[in-house]
Order: sequence, then C-alpha cells, then structure tokens
Amino acid sequence: MKNNITLILALLLAFAASAQQKGDVLIKNGTVLTITNGDLAETDVLIRDGKISKIGKGLKAPSGAKTIDATGMYVMPGIIDAHSHIALDAVNEATSPVTAEVFTGDAVDPLDVSIYRALAGGVTTSHAMHGSANAVGGQCETIKHRYGTVDPEALKMKGAPRTIKFALGENPTRVHGAGNNMVPRTRMGVEAVFRNSFSEAQEYMAAWNEYNANKSKKGFKGAPPKYDLRLETLADILKGEIIIHCHSYRADEIYMLMQVCKDFGIKRLVFQHVNEGFKVAPELAEFGAGASVFADWWAYKFEVYYSTAYNATILSENGVVTSINSDSGELIRHLYHEAAKTQKYGGLTDKDALSMITINPAKQLGIEDRVGSIEEGKEGDIAIFNNHPLSIYAIPMYTIIDGVLQFDRQNDQDDMRIYVNPEEKIDVTFSQNDHTVDRCMQGTEFLFKN
Amino acid sequence: MIILFIGVLPSSLYGQDEKIAPVTGTYAITNVNITQAPGRTIQLGTVVVKDGMITAVGKSVSIPADAKIIKADSMYLYAGFIDGLSHVGVDMPKEEEDQDVDDPSNPPNDIAGIQPDRDVRGLLNPSDKSVDDWRKLGFTAAHVVPEGRMLPGSGAIVLLSGDTPDEMVYRSGTSLFSQLRGASGIYPNTVIGVMAKYRDLYRNASYAKSYKQRYEQDGAGMERPVSDRVLEAFYPVIDKRIPVAFKAESVLDIQRVFILKNDLGFNLMLGEVKQGWDVIDKIKNANASVFLSLELPELKEEKEKDSTDTDEGDTKKELTAAEEEQQRLDARKKEMILNHYKQPALFTANGVKFGFSTLEAKSKDIKSNLSKMVANGLSEDAALTALTTAPAQLLGLSNTMGTVDAGKIANLVISDKPYFDEKSNVKMVFVDGKLFEYDDKPKKKKSDGEDIDPKGSWSYSTETPQGTTTGTLKITGEAGDYSGEMTNSQTGETTSISDIAISGTSMTYSFQINAGGNMLSISVSVTIDGETFDGTMTVGSYGSFPVEGERIPEQ
Amino acid sequence: MSRPMKNLKHIFIVFLLVAFSIEVSGQNAKGKTGTFALTNATIETVTNGTINNGTIVIKDGIIAEIGANVTIPDGAEQIDCSGQTIYPGMIEGGGRLGLVEVNSDPRTRDYNEIGDVIPQMKALTAVNPNSVLIPVTRVSGVTTSLAVPAGGLFPGTASLVNLHGYTPDQMYAGFEGIVMNFPTTGRSSRWDRRSDDEIKKEAEKTLKKLNEVWQRANEYHRIDSTLKASGNAAKLEYYPEMEALLPVVRGEQKLLIEVNAASDIEAAIEWVSDKDIDVVFTGVSEGWRKADEIAKANIPVIVGPVLSVPNREYDRYDRAYTNPGVMQKAGVKVAIKSGDAENVRNLPYNAGFAATYGMGKEEALKAITIIPAEIFGVDDKLGSLEKGKSATLFVTDGDPFETKTQVKYVFIEGWMIPLESRHTKLYDEFLNRQPGLKK
Repeated sequence: MKNNITLILALLLAFAASAQQKGDVLIKNGTVLTITNGDLAETDVLIRDGKISKIGKGLKAPSGAKTIDATGMYVMPGIIDAHSHIALDAVNEATSPVTAEVFTGDAVDPLDVSIYRALAGGVTTSHAMHGSANAVGGQCETIKHRYGTVDPEALKMKGAPRTIKFALGENPTRVHGAGNNMVPRTRMGVEAVFRNSFSEAQEYMAAWNEYNANKSKKGFKGAPPKYDLRLETLADILKGEIIIHCHSYRADEIYMLMQVCKDFGIKRLVFQHVNEGFKVAPELAEFGAGASVFADWWAYKFEVYYSTAYNATILSENGVVTSINSDSGELIRHLYHEAAKTQKYGGLTDKDALSMITINPAKQLGIEDRVGSIEEGKEGDIAIFNNHPLSIYAIPMYTIIDGVLQFDRQNDQDDMRIYVNPEEKIDVTFSQNDHTVDRCMQGTEFLFKN
Repeated sequence: MIILFIGVLPSSLYGQDEKIAPVTGTYAITNVNITQAPGRTIQLGTVVVKDGMITAVGKSVSIPADAKIIKADSMYLYAGFIDGLSHVGVDMPKEEEDQDVDDPSNPPNDIAGIQPDRDVRGLLNPSDKSVDDWRKLGFTAAHVVPEGRMLPGSGAIVLLSGDTPDEMVYRSGTSLFSQLRGASGIYPNTVIGVMAKYRDLYRNASYAKSYKQRYEQDGAGMERPVSDRVLEAFYPVIDKRIPVAFKAESVLDIQRVFILKNDLGFNLMLGEVKQGWDVIDKIKNANASVFLSLELPELKEEKEKDSTDTDEGDTKKELTAAEEEQQRLDARKKEMILNHYKQPALFTANGVKFGFSTLEAKSKDIKSNLSKMVANGLSEDAALTALTTAPAQLLGLSNTMGTVDAGKIANLVISDKPYFDEKSNVKMVFVDGKLFEYDDKPKKKKSDGEDIDPKGSWSYSTETPQGTTTGTLKITGEAGDYSGEMTNSQTGETTSISDIAISGTSMTYSFQINAGGNMLSISVSVTIDGETFDGTMTVGSYGSFPVEGERIPEQ
Repeated sequence: MSRPMKNLKHIFIVFLLVAFSIEVSGQNAKGKTGTFALTNATIETVTNGTINNGTIVIKDGIIAEIGANVTIPDGAEQIDCSGQTIYPGMIEGGGRLGLVEVNSDPRTRDYNEIGDVIPQMKALTAVNPNSVLIPVTRVSGVTTSLAVPAGGLFPGTASLVNLHGYTPDQMYAGFEGIVMNFPTTGRSSRWDRRSDDEIKKEAEKTLKKLNEVWQRANEYHRIDSTLKASGNAAKLEYYPEMEALLPVVRGEQKLLIEVNAASDIEAAIEWVSDKDIDVVFTGVSEGWRKADEIAKANIPVIVGPVLSVPNREYDRYDRAYTNPGVMQKAGVKVAIKSGDAENVRNLPYNAGFAATYGMGKEEALKAITIIPAEIFGVDDKLGSLEKGKSATLFVTDGDPFETKTQVKYVFIEGWMIPLESRHTKLYDEFLNRQPGLKK
C-alpha cells in the first residue's frame, strides 16, 4: 500500500516538474509526417530546449535527453483543436448578448482530467473558447496541454494572438431573444447587435483618440470618456488585434458576417462549425476567412439539418483554409480519426486530411509560425502513433509538448487526477455523449429556470 | 470610575449572569498560567485589567483595591484570539424578493452584488448567536465583512462584545471585501464575468479618481464629475491605504485573484485559503496577507478489513483488482485531506505569516479543526501565533492587541487546561475588559433513537448554480403529524411542504414548485444538529444541491 | 408568458414556417429490385471464412448462390466487384434512428413517451420511414437498426428495422424486445450531488417499484394462463402494460435491460438470476469491471457507444475502447452499438476502435453483424453471407473499419439501394457551385 502512495507522490512530483520546463527529446527512426515538407521515412527528430533543432538521419541525443525509439511508428506534429471547452471552469457568461470584455483565460482549469485524455489522443494545443450563448462572446485562450500543474498560467500559450468568440443563429437568439426578451431574437437582430457594437466601438475609439491627442495641451479642461472594457475590446477587434472566431451554421448568416466585417474593415475572421459553409465556399475563399468544422455532426439542431459531411472537402477544394475541430471532450481524443473522415467524404489526400488538424488550425489561431508542422525551429510539439494516424488502427503512444513527454501510453498510471475531491464517495459519472447536449451552450441551462 | 454594564446577550444559553451590572471594571486574575505571547510564559502569575485595558502582568503585581479578584487557580490565560476574516456578528442582508430585472445584462448594482460602498457597520448585530459562539471559543476580536456576491462591502475590526453595533466597532473601513462570486441569472454571472467586471470597475474608479483630483485643484471650466459611490469605494484601495480582502478558497481561486492583483495592482489580503499548499511561493511573491480557512474536510477512517489486519504470519489474502483500486483511491483521498490538515504547518515551515479566517467554518468544528492542524505538524506555539500575534500584525493591530502586555486592550481567554488540550474548556473570556463566564453545560445527550423536534421557524439557504436561495421554513404539529411551509426569497412565494418525516436527527420532506408551467418535485433531506441543519435538496432530475439552515429563536 | 412557454411557441412557429418551405421535389432515387450477380469479389461471409474471387447471386430478395464457382442466371444484372469486398449489412444494436429528426426540437422526438411503466409503447409505430437520416445512414453500409424507446423504468418496445421501405411494416426486420432501464445507483451527472444514502434510497425505491411491476406481471400471466387453459371465455380487464410484459414473463420475448454502473450490473444479474426469462444487457459501459460475472450468467450484451469517455475520473482513459474486448475475452457474447440517431453511420468506427484496443478485427466485425443478428433472433436472415439468407449486404473498396474506405454498393433484402442521400446531393450541388462567385 505504501508503495502505491510513494509511487503516486513520485508521479505527482514528476508532474510538477514536467509542467513548467522545456525539454530535450530525440525521436529515432520514425516515419516523420512533416505536413509541409512531405513524409520522411526512417528519420530522426531532435528537440532541444523545447524547439525542434534538427530533422535528419543518425542524429545523436545530447546528454540528459530522453530518447524514444520510433521504429515502425509515425511521428506527426501535435494535433491542434481549434474549438474546445476543456480545461475551463466557466464557458458562457450568458447574461448579455455582448460580453467582449470577459476572457476564458481567467477561468482556465489545469486540473481537468480531460486535458490528459486529449493528450492521450495526440492533441497538444486547444483553443479554449467561450460558449456560443452570445452574439459577441468572450475572448478565448489558446492553451497547450501541459498537464500536471496547478498553475493556470502554465497552460497558456504565451504570445499566441488574441481571439474572440462570436455566435450566430439559434444559440444567441434562443438565450437572449427567447430566454430574456432581449435583442437578438432573430438573425436580423444578430446582425444589428454586431453593427451596433462595432459602431459604438468606433465612437469610443474616436472619443479617446481625441482626448488623448488633446489632454497634454496647455489649459486642457476636458474629461476623459468613460472607460469601458467591453468597448475597448471591440475597438481592438476593429484595429485588427483580435481574430474573430464565429460559431455559425447557416449560409445566409455566414454571408452576413462577412459583409459586416467588410463594412468595418475587419479581415481576421474564422468561422466555427460553419456547417453550411460549403454553400458559400467561394465567398469564404474570396474573403480569406477560415473555416473550422465538424467532421460529420449534423441534424442535432434545425440549423444543421441541411448539412453534409462533405463540408470540409468542399471548403478545402474551394480554397478555404479548413480545419476539423471537436467542440467536445470526447471527440478531441480521436481527432485523427475525425480528420480521416475527409478521405471518406471527398477523398482528400493524406496531407490535406492531416493538415486539417495541424497546420490549418494553427493558421486559424495565428500560431502557424510556431506549431502545426515538423520543421526546424518550430516548437517541439509531437504526437507519435504506432500506425499511420489516419488509420483506424492507429494508437497514440507518446505525446510531447515543448520537448517534454506529457503522455506515455505504456508507463502512465490509470488514475491521472491531480487533485482529488476530499468529499467524493460514489463517483460514477455517466458521460453524456450525444451532442444533444450542445457543449457550446454549457452553463446556460439554469438561466431558463424560473 | 465605575462603568455600568447593561449586561450581555439575552439569547446566550450558557449559564450567563442575568443583567446585573458588575460592581467594578477592575479585575485581577490571579494564580493563572499566563502565555503573554507564543514563547513568553509566566507560571502562576497575575493579570490586572482596568477600564478595558491590561494594566499589569507579572509573577507578582500589586492588586488595586477596587479589583474583583478572580482566582484562576492553575488555569491557562492567553491573549484573546483574533479572527482574520469573518462574518461573525454580521446579519445576512434580507434577500430582496427577486425583482424581475428589466435588463439582465445591465442590472442595478445592488442586485448584481456590486456594493463595495456598503459598510459592514450597518449590518452588525451584537446579539447574533455567532458572537457568543465565537467568544466561547476564545475569539475576542474579528475583522468582519458583509456577505454578498462579488463586492459585498467594506470590512471593520470589531470586538466581540457590546450592546450596540457602534460599541462593537474598533476600526471601520479596514478593507474592501471581494469574492469571485457572480450573481444569479444576471451580469456578472460566472467567474469570467466577475473578473471582467472587476477590472472595468477598478479602472473606471482610477480614472474617476484622477479626474476628481484635477477637478478639485481647479474646477472652473471643467465638466463636473459624476458622484458614484460604487467607484468611490475603490479610492482608498487605489491609494493603497486599505487592502482588498479577497476570499480565495481553492488553488484556482487563489491564482485567479493573483491575476487580478497583477492586472490592477491593489494590496491584497487573502482569506479563507483552503488549498494553498502548492502555491506558497506565489503567495510569498505576491506579498499578500494570508488567512487560512478554519474549515477542514472530514477524514472518515475506514476500519481496516479483518483479512488484512489479523493475518499475521499468514500470507496476505490476494486482493482483487477492484479492492486494490479501492485501496489506491482511499489512499489518494486521505492524502488530499491530510494536505488540508498539514497546510498551516507547511506555511509556518516556509516562513509565511498567517492568521485564520472563519467565513465558512462552523463554530462547533473550529476547536477540533485546530486540533487536527496541531496533530499534523502545526506546533501549539505556531497555532497560537496564528490566532493572536500574526493576525494582529497583518491587520495593523499590534499596538493594542495580540499579546498579554500592559497597555493592550483587555482581550483575554482563560481555559481550564492548556487551550490545545483535547478536553480543555474555555471558562472565561475578557473582551474589551468585560468579563464573560462560561460554565460547563452538561452536553445534550444525543438521544439514540429519540427523534429530534423540528418544530419552529428556521432560516435556510441553498446553493444552486443559479446562486443562493434563502427563505424560512416553519414546522408545526406533533410527532408523526408534522406540517409546514417554506418561503422562497427568489420567488417570494410560500409553499406548503409535505411528507415531513423525522428519524433520529434526520428530517426529510418534499414540496413542489411551479417552474414555468411545469410542476417540479423537490425533496429535502437534512441532519439537524442542535440549532442548525444541513443536507441536500434534490430538484427533480436537475440535480441536488447543499442546503443549510439555522433555527430562528422565538421572540 | 413564461420563458419556456415562449421557447415552445418560438420553436413551433419556426417549425411551421420551415415545414412549408421544404422542397417539393422527391426525396431520393428509388431502389431497384431484381436479379443481380456480384462477381469477382472477395466475400467476407463472417461465419464461413473468406471466399476469394467469389460471386453472390441475389434473387427474390435472398442470397440465391454464393461461392467461388457459381452459375449466374440469365438476365441477371452483373456487377463486377473486382478489387472489392462484400460484407453482410451492419446491424446497429440500439439507437434512435427513425425516432427523431432534429433532436433539439421536441416535436421531432418520438422516443420518449410520458409514463414510467409503458412497455406497450411500440417504437415500430413511430419510426419515420422517410426520415432524412435513414439514407444518410445506409449509404455507409449500416443496413439494419434497432429503434429503442427511452425514458422511465419500462419505456416501451424496441423494434428492429431494415433501412429500406416506405412503411414501418415494410421496414420491420423481425425482432421486437421490451426495454427496461435498470434502477441506477450511479450519479446521473455532475449536478447530481445527492448523498450516498439518498442515491441508495432512490435506487431501492425504483427497484421496489420494478419488483412490484414484475410481481403484477406474473400474476397477470398466471391468471391469463389459467383462463386460457380452462377455455374460459372470460377475459382480464384491459391492461396494456401487463399485456405487453406477458411474453417476457413467459420467456417468449427478450427483455433488453439498459444497465451501466458496475454495482448495477451486479444487481441486475442478481435480479435476473431467479427468473426464467430471456435477457440482454445493453449499454454496459462498466461491463469490464464485471466481465466474469456477466459471462458466468450467460447474458449477452450490446455495448456502446465505444467512442465515449470513461465513466469515472480515475478510470484509465481508454476503458470505453477496451471494454468490448475485455468482455468478449472473458466469454461474454458481445454486440456493439453506436447508440446514435443521425450518425449511426459511425457504427463501424465504434467497432474499429474496439478492434484496435484489444478486441481484434474478426470479433469486432462479428459484433456488428452476426452477433446482434443472433441476439435478435434474426440470424436465419441477417448477420452473415450464406446461401438462403437475406440479400442484405454492402460492397467496399477496402476494410470497412478503415475510415477512408468507400462503399460501392448496398443491398437491403435484395433491393439495390441508390447511394445517394442529402449529404451526397449537397456535395454534388456545391462542390463546384454554379453560379460561383460571380452570378
């Protein structure tokens, strides 16, 4: 019994250590799927101090580095999920149709065992998003799955571009229009909310610019405009400092948002779910908007009744940067299988299919210079599989972040919780797997109770 | 000078003198083992108290003629304890009937829980039962704050005696109390809403304060500043004159508070810290005052299975996979619980000064929780420090409180055995020089099998994801035939309850409410312990939530 | 008007408006029946090994001939399946396909009727043969699905349907079973914070109710048998619930018991042990904890979805993937279900993950073909490719577990099913949209 405890303690200590550092790893002799530079057979990848320092044959490990024998295995970039809600204590501040000022980064929960389970599926980075209850939702956080720490800051991918969640369609109209009798109740109202918000932000910016230009002048007697964190954030969107990620389904509303963005000079736009994106693929390509889609979820709401699993293929073939996401703590664990569905539905090549979960989501999050492919100089985020990741028979064996081994299928314990609930006795929980529980609406259920 | 006392709490149940004014305000406590401060003791000495202050402490001091002599033969005397962050003596504000808010995205500040301008002094109730309960534990002073949501109000240092709120107050406006707690159904609702709103308010207050300063220097030609009491409440914090007292229980709460501190720059007092052991370095670096929670999780020791105990010499019985797993899980859970118990010792070992806070602890558990901490590495001296000198320093009270020295306020606690002994009882407490005596009350026998009497009025509160709901519960009738009704602060309705069943100390009942056209069946199951109860309320298939309450004394 | 009411009204209006705007053109191309010969194929019979370079002759709805050397009848439409493989149609062991269209709209949900003990509610009645979800499913090779009611203790009668036909009777595939949700001692969700005692009490209460209902059903059976035996013309009062349970009590109809938590599985095994009834366990997500007990009790299981998170926070992350394999190796008869409605087409991937994580390809394939057929008592027609069985099969260009495999042909009861669905039609329309960017 004591052995178990010391083992657990040792593991937890190892946790604490690994969570913060950058590491050195030599991955030997695998088939390296670089994504951007083709597939390299029997090739080594050397990570030093968290960065991929060399790709080649016959590399030597520096002293102290871990060596992984990847003979017969496939080495790909760590998978990136552009739409996720794991590791968050709060998903929806659903009390107002516009909540640009809130920030999911404030609610990061490093103790969520879902993070480990995502690692066990080869996912190294996820976009921890605000939910879709509000037309203008909150800012999101891009996190790396550095599991094993109690420090929320340790998960944040420092320097990743700012992003914010918008939402169209049934979710915001249901929460605010039907739920609270507030605009928006229809898709007309959703557009109005955006135009209002951006117009107010423009006025706000103008007022502050004027104040700032004049405040140091002699004899200036003006008062500063009222500070408003919400309008500050909206202004930052107008300035191009924040990428909009918009939950959307119907073709007409997707089209609407592109028009609104054009009117306000906003260029950095990625649509999420975008189930009917295929119907406006040419427009999306022309705008330069990205699309992050489900592999095959549909029909669970009316606005996705007219969807097709060929969505990703159609978008990709029409020149839209497309990624596949999970929006689910369950699906995130087999994104490699979800990506393979683009080969079933549309026959995409291996490279294009894998791009959907690597370099493409990286582009959509603005981190493609750091992750998303195996290239010298990029960060050491790697997933190693025993079979080609697009095969159903693939099993993720190792997952590495910044050169630190975060998931090791053969050596990890069963119980990977960091903190244990001191009060829990019976703890069998039934997972709700069907997406009838719309994860994007998490936290809003109780708003409807009288 | 003879100060007439009007007497003490009429609702106190423990052998208190009736309202007979004491003859003198001068006391000499003789023959008592004095711990002036941790590490400074006097065997069998004397303490003289006069006009609310300690005038003499020593092995042999001259006793004034007008002193009432208290023979504290071989008892133990300490400085009165100081509660670092507490709701003791603070009335919970009456929950307004949930007014239908016009605009949930922009509700009135008080409904949203944004009331930093609310002064705790307006909520003090000297006759609240908690005051006597705390005193009986040895607490003589407390840093009290109002209850509420994200910004319940400002705190004050009070002495646990007095007949009127003002008599209790030692110093007001000592902190701005904050919690990462949103409002139900309105903005801000979640922790991200609360944190965003906090930043918005704070920065607005900074701007308003600068503008106000400019205006006061020369207002001619300038737009006059809008008066905003909510923002003004932040000014002393922005000036760094008072700290923000932030309730931060879990390891994540603590770190979220640090994020706000880094963003905004206020001085920080951390309260009710329960899971601090992994962030001690961060706490040190943040230069925050720390008050650890006196509420601890319970460790239920499972009896070892016979097979693993008595098989001495025989080979241990092979455990099934399920049993092994259960053992591992139990071990982890125990380790987690012990981490809570060991926390204070760990803080001491790392050189972090701390006091205790009692926002969550129940008075009946405090002494045993202190024992658990002592049993897990906290030396008695360190415990005493956390109850006296440390909070005095952290709260800026060292000049007048925290030790038994001449010149300090006469806050003393006297127990029949060393305080940290399991069987010790507090016999006397001096608060502000006023004497409170506590006789041994024969413990109410937990009558096995005898059913408890639930009749009367109770106030209850329950926590749902929607927020806190409160109300009153009234039970009438006879054993076997109880009836009752409950009010709900959120809906304003009174509902009758049915199927009231009592078994020993547990009570169950159910009722129905109308939720938007659907009848929801709710069942409640609680354990009654004296004047309080707690348990769970199950709402149909939505889930179950904790509910607790306390008896409303008959007027 | 209260908020939920506003909700409903809103949804109702939307639904009405949409109902009027559905395109008037036909839904799908029609299936084609006749005589077919699928030649030069690799045939995975499931029960009799692999036939290389074989031929299947389909005539009158059944497999008339199957083998390496087969005479092809005159007039048969020949389909060259070189390089392709033929499999028996996959069987979904339990979901809501046909019983729901858009799950967020309650008006389209037909699987959960009011009432706790309503075994007489027949899923077959409510299956919508024209559901858009059905073509989407069958073009992936899932040909047969069990439609299962959900809800209280006895939510209804599940029904097996083939995914082709214009009326429920045309679809009916020959099996109906009574569904029971065993009283559960687990927590239902994160919000369930009842104390251990409370949960135990609730479960005991439900179990008591179950036993009461069971006792009553037995009484009903005794009286009914007695009346029949004595030729008495008198009839029992109309009692549809008991009428529906009668065949289960008599061991003539299967009882599908949905049970998941380990302690519940144990309790269910115990509950069944003193009754002479024909039982199947469904769900069984913690079956791996009780695999030996289930095997000993000789109870077949329909487990799934495999693509789910483990039940407990401290469970190893791949428990749901390894679950079917663990049970199968312990000697349990294991079928796999997806439990889905609009994505039953992912059934082979549930089986694929089970195969990868310990079950092996062969057993996993059986788990979605012959085993469910046996469990549902329709293995004389479905579940494998044998002469005389129903011509319900699909043809692929590779391993059906591999995600990128394409389905080339689907036959249901001898009807060649057009490989089109809403998804394929949208693909055709929009891959190269005309007009494109400029009109």
